[in-house]
Amino acid sequence: MESQNLPWIILLLPLFCAASILLFTRRSGNISALIATGCSLISLLLGVALLRLPDGVHVAAFPWLNMGSNVVVEIGFQIDQLSRGMMLVVTAIGAAVHVFSLAYMKDDDGKARYFAGLSFFMFSMTGIVFANNFVMMFVFWELVGFSSYVLIGHWFEKDSAADAAKKAFLTNRIGDFGFMIGILLVWGLTKSIYFTAIATAVVDEQILNGVSNGLLMAMVLCVFCGAIGKSAQLPLHVWLPDAMEGPTPVSALIHAATMVAAGVYMLARIAFLIPMSAGAGEVIAWIGAITALMAALMALQQNDIKRILAYSTLSQLGYMVMAVGINAADAAMFHLFTHAFFKALLFLGSGAVIYACHHEQDIWKMGGLAKKMPITFVTFVIGTAALMGLPFVTSGFFSKEAILGAALHGHKALFVVAAFIVLLTAFYMTRLIVVVFLGEDRSEKAKKAKEVPVLMWVPLVLLAVPSVIAGYEFFYKGMALSPAFPHHEGPASIGLIVISAVLLIFGIGMAFWGYKGETSEPMAGNRLARVFGNKFYVDEAYTWLIKIFQDGLAGVANFVDKVVVDGLVARLPAAGALRLGDAMRRLQSGNLQSYGFLFALGAVLVIYLVVFK
Amino acid sequence: MTLLEAIIAVPIVAAIAIAFGSPTRPTAVAAAAINLILILFAFGQYDLVHQEGAYQLTASHPIITVPDLANPGAEATLFGLSTGVDGISLVLLLLTGIVTLAAVWVSPAEDQIKGNKRLYYLSSLLISAGALGAFCSTDLFFFFAFHELALIPTFLMIGIFGSGPNRVRVAWKMTIYLGVGSMILLAGLVALFVALGGQSLQFVDMQAWADAPAAIASSSLENGIFLTLLIGFGILVSLFPFHTWAPEAYATAPTPTAMLHAGVLKKFGLYGLIRIAIPMLPNGAAHWQTLVLVLLVGNILYVGYVTIAQKRFDLMLGNSSVMHMGYAFLGIASMTVIGVQGAVLLMFAHGISIALLFALNGHLRKRFGTLEFDRIGGGLGKLLPTLGLLFGFAIMAGIGLPGFANFAAEVMIFFGGFAGLFAQEKDFVLGPVQIATMCAIWGVVISAVYGLRAYRNLFMGPLPDSTKDRKLADLTLAEQLPLILLIVTLLVIGFAPGLLIKYLIPSIENISHLAG
Amino acid sequence: MEVTLNHFLFVSGLLFAIGLAGVLVRRNVIVIFMCLELMLSAANLSLVAFSRYNVTPGGDADYNAQVFLFFIITVAAAEVAVGLAIIVALYRAKQTTDITQINSMKN
Repeated sequence: MESQNLPWIILLLPLFCAASILLFTRRSGNISALIATGCSLISLLLGVALLRLPDGVHVAAFPWLNMGSNVVVEIGFQIDQLSRGMMLVVTAIGAAVHVFSLAYMKDDDGKARYFAGLSFFMFSMTGIVFANNFVMMFVFWELVGFSSYVLIGHWFEKDSAADAAKKAFLTNRIGDFGFMIGILLVWGLTKSIYFTAIATAVVDEQILNGVSNGLLMAMVLCVFCGAIGKSAQLPLHVWLPDAMEGPTPVSALIHAATMVAAGVYMLARIAFLIPMSAGAGEVIAWIGAITALMAALMALQQNDIKRILAYSTLSQLGYMVMAVGINAADAAMFHLFTHAFFKALLFLGSGAVIYACHHEQDIWKMGGLAKKMPITFVTFVIGTAALMGLPFVTSGFFSKEAILGAALHGHKALFVVAAFIVLLTAFYMTRLIVVVFLGEDRSEKAKKAKEVPVLMWVPLVLLAVPSVIAGYEFFYKGMALSPAFPHHEGPASIGLIVISAVLLIFGIGMAFWGYKGETSEPMAGNRLARVFGNKFYVDEAYTWLIKIFQDGLAGVANFVDKVVVDGLVARLPAAGALRLGDAMRRLQSGNLQSYGFLFALGAVLVIYLVVFK
Repeated sequence: MTLLEAIIAVPIVAAIAIAFGSPTRPTAVAAAAINLILILFAFGQYDLVHQEGAYQLTASHPIITVPDLANPGAEATLFGLSTGVDGISLVLLLLTGIVTLAAVWVSPAEDQIKGNKRLYYLSSLLISAGALGAFCSTDLFFFFAFHELALIPTFLMIGIFGSGPNRVRVAWKMTIYLGVGSMILLAGLVALFVALGGQSLQFVDMQAWADAPAAIASSSLENGIFLTLLIGFGILVSLFPFHTWAPEAYATAPTPTAMLHAGVLKKFGLYGLIRIAIPMLPNGAAHWQTLVLVLLVGNILYVGYVTIAQKRFDLMLGNSSVMHMGYAFLGIASMTVIGVQGAVLLMFAHGISIALLFALNGHLRKRFGTLEFDRIGGGLGKLLPTLGLLFGFAIMAGIGLPGFANFAAEVMIFFGGFAGLFAQEKDFVLGPVQIATMCAIWGVVISAVYGLRAYRNLFMGPLPDSTKDRKLADLTLAEQLPLILLIVTLLVIGFAPGLLIKYLIPSIENISHLAG
Repeated sequence: MEVTLNHFLFVSGLLFAIGLAGVLVRRNVIVIFMCLELMLSAANLSLVAFSRYNVTPGGDADYNAQVFLFFIITVAAAEVAVGLAIIVALYRAKQTTDITQINSMKN
């Protein structure tokens, strides 16, 4: 096998798989599941093999859209640390999720559709990772949105799932609106859509010198809009928690580890553009920080196990975006890499819990699961530790320190926010563990829970390993993933470690003390807690805004169309023609004598004009 | 008889045969299939390499000749039945061929047609013949006349076979609207003919006159003629604010007529702008560019919001087809090679996808007798999985998901809009075209809103009690095939738009005055 | 007083005006018909008068119109016969000669 063809195989294998399920095995869920899982395992092997492909290797591109005027959109491949590392994440978690789904979706009616959707997602995500130009990235950007729509709406007979799917797609479309404008501005200003060519033009040739900062800022922020939508940053974050209506393995793959991280990945790809505009990075960093903060606050008071994790994902994505904004895209990517493993682990763990509790998602109806599901419990704790960033023993620690360290160098305000989030993270994750796994069981469903089948706990164990070691240098160095991932070490970070360790212990302690032995939310009466629990009422505000602006505008437009436009353009001329016809009809009296009179009058007039004028 | 004349003649001959007693459905389907093969054959005959996008496969039968002024002693054709194709018309021929085949294929079996079965099939074929003739003609008179020919069967189909109590009123409204549009158009075309010297109605000759320096001495005359043509063609394409005929007409029309008119015949106006108004009146086009931009933003944003407000699927489709014409206008109004190519590709993609949607619309109407979202109540995904799947494809194509031809076309139009920025050296300023393009990109959000809302309201959610007990048959294989034909076309062109674009590029680069 | 062309024309015009007024205002179809004949006579009178006062190149009066007139009267007589026949037929059908009642083709 030619190694240059490897990316093509990784890209097309899942597409082929999705197409064959759609065309041939649509009626048989089991065969489809096996095909898809087989493909995902092969993809994982290929993803590992990809690590050996050198940087900038030439892969034959397919000229997808030749617009003329020297604009050619290729399906091309950019192979470097960034794409190799991301590909490893995608294929590894993809494989784990496929295997997990075999058991989780065992009795589902729409199994074939589900696995076709997963495969199609793998195809689209691979496209984003490999994309060497903006338009190709946009193509697959939309396609991941579509596969996410299909998978969130998997149980489309439920109103909530159907609405969530629609919401996710539309919110992403709003982001893509900005993204497309951003792409066009980049193209208009730099005369290229290819990342390497843009980098050369912008960094080496300084082609953007003399362009007004306003336009440059618009360009960067419009491109960033794409990331706002896909990575669910404020103000477009509302779709991600709702996306939890999809099957839990989907949440693990798409809405925790890979697709939502695509925004950060894209920003890392174009990180060289951000400093071109003074102030754009600042805006990006603050949007990330505020998202991280608000999401962490919202996570404090959620009662649905998946929603807690969803808000935690939002919060962590905000971290990464913040890092990109302060020119630490490498730290962001590092965190993306580690976060993907432990967040996928946590989601699959929550899936195991939900499965064991017969689709109960309310944490207050669980409890005491540690004894009944030991493997799930241990792996979940490992994931939680990594998410909190337990010093030195988890991957999350290293990546989080990298971001905190970058923030400490010059962005003190951002650092304070980021450090506060460490405390919040420790608090809400400890709350989750205490309520779900410790104490007594609080419902029939929890009482009957038992450990999940082997197909489900094996992926958990396998994901627990990188959750611990992915931050160690030997791991990513050995995989030839550095130097995309930095390692902030040295004396400055000792103080940092102390600060975050203190915050961590404080957060864990508070949660332990607050929730130990509770059977219902102790803070339920607190007004502030209610604001957090209701997600700052953002969804309500949006519903209201949509009602006023979209539906209201649509209603007005419809009324105007029916009454004013149709009236002016069609009915008014029509009425005029009718009136005129009516008036003419009156002249046509049918009375011979009046015709004769008119005739005579006419004749007299003619004689007068001819003879006397 | 040349290949193109055969392509025009096949549906006419089949229509005559049906009128004289040939079995209706087999004849119509066979004629459409033969025609599609002939059109593909024309693609094979078309020489991409040597003739730089000029008219090919030409033939001319002069009807009136006049002494040639430039060439004393010789005769020049004033007008005659001249046919020929370049890349643009070839793509539109393919569109017509595919949609015609699908349209007669989805037409109901004879025993389900209330009224004159022969008229039903005959009219569909005549609409197709009119469109084919208009796209093949290289003579102004026949270009216009063939389109008028197609309007008569459209009127009959809506008035006789349409659904709903208002069908006669709707048929009249549409016909009067289009009749007025054609009249304005005719005035503009005559004025153009006279202004260009009044020597010939042949496109080639007229273009040659127009390319001469200061072809039309007075710029106000040129602007006036362009405006007349814009309104005339604009009414035919439902340019805002002359669009109110379209949604009702399409909602009322029987399925094959809606497919053929919205899919194919409507594109005549855009074709006319690209073929006649822009290349022959470039200064007029430049003069009115801002006006066109304002109107097309009306199409996209205003009609887009009107579409969101619709509570019936057929009206929603009709409005959405009006909305999408705004993109085609944007491509044309950008006056760039990329934009115009995108516009032609969008004409193709939209033609196929709207035909697909109207075909599905017909299947729903057949099963439910109503298309109100509230009365259908949702949840059909479980009950009619195949219909749901194909419907999903159609909706996704309509909202421009990558992989379908619509996406490639829309991206090209957007790039065309920003190509002006590209041409500036320094001091980048966003002009009206760029602003209109941004509005158009917001239209992508709007179309996703109504598309997904429709799919949500029809196929997702729980099954209401009203449909639970009804026996509703999913699509049979025979019903699926024409839909699959359309979907496959969209996917093939979506994955490899180059298949069509390579025909477009030389012909569109031939249009002078387009920015590169 | 010498009778000049103007006198003839005046009488002719008067006759024509009386006829026209009768045609326009009367309802009885027979009276209208008689008034029409009056207008025809007025036209004949002016024709003869113009002709009589027209001097030929030889110096004689022109009598062509007076000959022509006999033809006109003959044809007019035929026309009156046809017209009266129609009126009789109409009366038989409608039992009236009032034109306001004869309106079955209106509406």
